[in-house]
Amino acid sequence: MTAEGGVQYSKIAEIKGPLVVVDDVESAAFDELVEIETTEGERRLGKVLEVGNGKAIVQVFEGTTGLSISGTKAKFVGKVMEMPVSKEVLGRVFDGLGRPKDGLPDPIADKFVDINGEPMNPEQREYPKDFIQTGVSVIDGLMTLVRGQKLPIFSGSGMSHNLLAAQIARQASVVGKQDDFAVVFAAIGVQYSEAEYFRRSLEESGALKRSVLFLNTADDPAIERIITPRVALTVAEYLAFDLGMHVLVVITDMTNYAEALREISAAREEVPGRKGYPGYLYTDLSTLYERAGKLNGRKGSVTQVPILTMPSDDITHPIPDLTGYITEGQIVVGRDLFRQGVYPPINILSSLSRLMKDGIGEGSTREDHSEVSNQVYDAYSRAQEVRALAGIVGKAGLTEIDLKYMDVGDTFEKEFLTQATDENRTIEETLDLMWKIVSKLPRNEITKIKDKYVEKYYKEE
Amino acid sequence: MNKCHPLANLALEQTIDKILNQTQKEIESSIKSALNDTTQTLDDAIPKLGKEYDKIIADGKKEADKIEKQIIGGADIEARNKQLLALEASVDKVFVKALDQITNNDRSGDYANLIKSLLDESTRILGTSEVIVSANSKDRDVVQSTLSGFPGSELSSDTIECIGGVIIKSKDGAMTFDNTLDARIERLKPLIRKDIAAKFGVGN
Repeated sequence: MTAEGGVQYSKIAEIKGPLVVVDDVESAAFDELVEIETTEGERRLGKVLEVGNGKAIVQVFEGTTGLSISGTKAKFVGKVMEMPVSKEVLGRVFDGLGRPKDGLPDPIADKFVDINGEPMNPEQREYPKDFIQTGVSVIDGLMTLVRGQKLPIFSGSGMSHNLLAAQIARQASVVGKQDDFAVVFAAIGVQYSEAEYFRRSLEESGALKRSVLFLNTADDPAIERIITPRVALTVAEYLAFDLGMHVLVVITDMTNYAEALREISAAREEVPGRKGYPGYLYTDLSTLYERAGKLNGRKGSVTQVPILTMPSDDITHPIPDLTGYITEGQIVVGRDLFRQGVYPPINILSSLSRLMKDGIGEGSTREDHSEVSNQVYDAYSRAQEVRALAGIVGKAGLTEIDLKYMDVGDTFEKEFLTQATDENRTIEETLDLMWKIVSKLPRNEITKIKDKYVEKYYKEE
Repeated sequence: MNKCHPLANLALEQTIDKILNQTQKEIESSIKSALNDTTQTLDDAIPKLGKEYDKIIADGKKEADKIEKQIIGGADIEARNKQLLALEASVDKVFVKALDQITNNDRSGDYANLIKSLLDESTRILGTSEVIVSANSKDRDVVQSTLSGFPGSELSSDTIECIGGVIIKSKDGAMTFDNTLDARIERLKPLIRKDIAAKFGVGN
């Protein structure tokens, strides 16, 4: 940071959607921060998207509503957008651009960090293998999250993903270690009531002191949504790699982010890709998701749980589709379970955590975790097949073993999957519940678990 | 009225005794069995009770931990927020005092050099010395005397409200560069705040 300021230009050539084209610009840099001053003296922030031929295209974060060609001034600040970071950001609530939203002053900065982040050197990356306990049985037991992983939640509109996000943010912890743990929560384009719920939920549970919230509400300008995940990840990286904390970043809703990207792309008259999203959507998403990870020789980690709502519950939609290519598994929220009133309504058969195998077992969770989890998957899958069969031949046409599998399916949904929003289950409780489900099957049906574990944990009913 | 034969009475008594004995045995057996059942039920209930007891204790502990976290977390945040507000108030006071001192500073001596360096920087950034320079009423004389070193520049007849320094505008009005002390302080404010806070022992 220097005392030297930037030049203010007063020739605005064009205002197009969220973009302002400034004329006669002699020196501007790509991504440079721009202060737009309206005729009324109001200041808005933006950044340079393109420079050339004496023109600069500026993307205005707070939108261009109320701006006019005459009287509007654009000041090129001479630096990229930076986020002031320090340990003081913990317990604070910011807006989508990283400005305090809790009535308190700006945090005293330890340093100012470019929000675009520095790419992680792939050679320096450390393979994620340490368990994070979310306290949500279905996640901890069947799609375990590990430190440094990026594990998205694919949901649909109106479903309970925000409750789940808040629950994870409140309960997540590193088990058995004294390492510092923090949660960075970025809400993108959420309703005011949801933003309030997130804030209150963390405040009332006492989890706010180890959390940082970035809230971009639905009525905030859409363009701000491009910045929100970046400022959140910048803070997360600082907490992780400068302060050595294990940071869980929950971002909801990435669909709103992609919509904002589409809006800018349309205004720039770029050739649209699938469903009108820009052709570089994959690359752009990767600049966010790839900011998760662990680095060799550094203590902290950044773990990401981005949440996205699939338009029309369509998992082949470009946003979940491209997200799935980058991330390490997915947690799918199921409409059928949601309609049955199950919370969290996670469809385990479409979900998986690709890094789970390295984060569980003896020394991490428990020796039997991997095998009991496979058995539960298998049993629930069989239960679904039996349910489908019962729909055709009726329950009377089922064999005794089929009925047992149906019972397993019901118990799984009622006792294991279903969990109160404030119920924080330990990994031991989760594994015991999994054994309770497995124990509903006759012993000869337990084919995926070693005998020594069956003898130790199986209790036939 | 018929009288019963004594033998018949004896047989009746024997039958009654037999029934009574049998009933007594049955009752005793039932009581014994009930006692066994009860003992068994009690024996079975003990581990269940133990488990239930442990669960209640564990749930209670969990709830207590949760409440403890809520109370401590809330108190920590409240205390921290109060500290932040107090710190900010102190930082503001320091700022006001410092700005007061700068405003009332003597314009002689090194101040002309400061204006010259501000003009140098501004014309370099704008890329021209064909500029109109604005200053506050206090600085006009110093600025006017310094402008001789910047051919093509002229002093605006309008004065500006600031504590010192200059605003430079290209003659076509397209470019402006604010190099007032106010703008410079504003740009450096986050760093100055950090330094002031460090003096109060925060952020070290």
